[in-house]
Amino acid sequence: MSETLFEKIWNSHVVVERENEPSLIYIDRHLIHEVTSPQAFDGLRANHRTVRRRDLTVATIDHNVPTTDRSLPMIDETSSIQIKTLEKNCKDFGIKLFGINDPNQGIVHVIGPQLGITLPGSTIVCGDSHTSTQGAFGAFAFGIGTSEVEHTLATQTLWLEKPKTFEILATGKRKNPFAVTSKDIILSIIKQIGTDGGTGHVLEYRGDAISDLSMEQRMTICNMSIEAGSRAGLIAPDEKTFDYLNNRKYTPKNYDELVDDWKNNLISDANSKFDKSFTIDVNKIEPQVSWGTNPAMVSDVTGKIPTPEEFGQNNEIQIESAKKALLYMDLKPDTPIVEISIDRVFIGSCTNARLEDLKDAAEIVKGKAINSNVCAMVVPGSQMVKLEAEKLGLDKIFKDANFEWRESGCSMCLGMNPDILKPGERCASTSNRNFEGRQGSGGRTHLVSPVMAAASAIAGHFVDVREWC
Amino acid sequence: MIGNVIKYERDNIDTDVIIPGTYLKIHDYNELATHAMEGLDPEFPSKVKDGDFIVAGKNFGCGSSREHAPIALSTCGIKAVIAISFARIFYRNSVDGAFLLPIEVDDETYRKIANSDQLEINIEKNEIKNITKNETYAMKPFSEIIAKIIAAGGLFKYKK
Repeated sequence: MSETLFEKIWNSHVVVERENEPSLIYIDRHLIHEVTSPQAFDGLRANHRTVRRRDLTVATIDHNVPTTDRSLPMIDETSSIQIKTLEKNCKDFGIKLFGINDPNQGIVHVIGPQLGITLPGSTIVCGDSHTSTQGAFGAFAFGIGTSEVEHTLATQTLWLEKPKTFEILATGKRKNPFAVTSKDIILSIIKQIGTDGGTGHVLEYRGDAISDLSMEQRMTICNMSIEAGSRAGLIAPDEKTFDYLNNRKYTPKNYDELVDDWKNNLISDANSKFDKSFTIDVNKIEPQVSWGTNPAMVSDVTGKIPTPEEFGQNNEIQIESAKKALLYMDLKPDTPIVEISIDRVFIGSCTNARLEDLKDAAEIVKGKAINSNVCAMVVPGSQMVKLEAEKLGLDKIFKDANFEWRESGCSMCLGMNPDILKPGERCASTSNRNFEGRQGSGGRTHLVSPVMAAASAIAGHFVDVREWC
Repeated sequence: MIGNVIKYERDNIDTDVIIPGTYLKIHDYNELATHAMEGLDPEFPSKVKDGDFIVAGKNFGCGSSREHAPIALSTCGIKAVIAISFARIFYRNSVDGAFLLPIEVDDETYRKIANSDQLEINIEKNEIKNITKNETYAMKPFSEIIAKIIAAGGLFKYKK
């Protein structure tokens, strides 16, 4: 029988399956961070449980960490307590932790692949919705809540309802692959299928336009699957995948054998059927800029802010949502996107803070300086990314242009560490969510690619980055 | 289960407005609850009463996997969220920890229920009675799996 890639991964991880019951699924890798794990460890202690597979569990600290000088004491006491709690929990339960001063510290979804912890065909969970990032390696990787973190710690399994499958077929070639990035592809997809288009489904991104992407670009796509409502998105592994994972710190010793097995098995069969399908021609995609307060409120850079009626198309709630979004964003319909001025630029997050993202942004920035009205920062996704970037001299390019060059962490993506927007500040951000208050109470977020963020920092407003390269 | 409605006429009420990121450092549930819905309605914690229901549009709870979202609402006294649809992680978190009931209704029911209406939810009959308006609506039944987890009182109790 023909099966999709997702069905193959699912079937090879079923421990218990009964009719009208959830299936018990084996979990190959469990990643942990400081925010969604404390109550799970409390639960283990209260019930006298241990961690079932310490060897398959790794932790890092990313959400709370300041991105400034780490040798200074932390000012925020509650953040400090949360970090110390994870350190204690990892020590007590014997879990490997990439702590605050570890050279492998970084955003959990960035370090998983970099360390070779993420493997094709595996099941990966983390108490974080952007775990979907790791689906780029052909893994079933998804975010879970703290109750499920506890369940995974205790049993290395989870009770799950089998999701449906959704094919996203990306065809054609990007007209300017430097300026039209994988971020623009995924924003275009979300714009069209909506923030709940993928609910209850695992997305499988397929087609030449996906094969064409590097691993880091594929991660950006899978990362934002959750913004379309899907807990997981995946891409079949290929030579690029196998090359990327070769010789990483935790790459398995029998890697070549594994690769042979993956090549034969980890692909959707020719006649396999998806529950839903959507096709996008990337040839037609322009650089994208979000204008509203959810990731489907997105425009071409050559476009204008829509009227609520244009956006809502006779749907009252949608029209009302657009009105509220424009009020929050302080934007008027029919304003050209390129006329929107910005105060801040954030190049970072699990969506776009890998080496290629920083290289591309640096290419735009080189020899220029940011607009005097703009504050801009670059926050590498991990300490490894930071080190590699510094070896290439990217830090110097950014600093010479007056960007701040920071230590790795989630930073300004989510407003829970010192990197936040002030009320009313408008930010071009390479992160994943433009929700109200996401980057700090009253902050206004526009989601863009790293090259768009870099060019906007220099211009002081959004620009058609295709004209910059 | 009888309670009064706090209605938000919005789609995509995300976890960042239900409990903004800055409060995810808080370990104590009661303290967390003082910031519930702060991103959308800072008055919420003072107006919510034990047993109340939230009514909202499509894709409620989209965004982050933070279980703090259903916990904050539940600790405030919210017993159910009635919405046209839910984001799946929020839905699952609500049921796993037996924090609150995520109840799906159709567009028409969503429109008929008004702020402050008193409702009686009967999950055995898949029915919502609007006591204020003397109307009865159908709710979408829980899947068999979810119904079992709810009946057991959460994920861990379900498989004990």
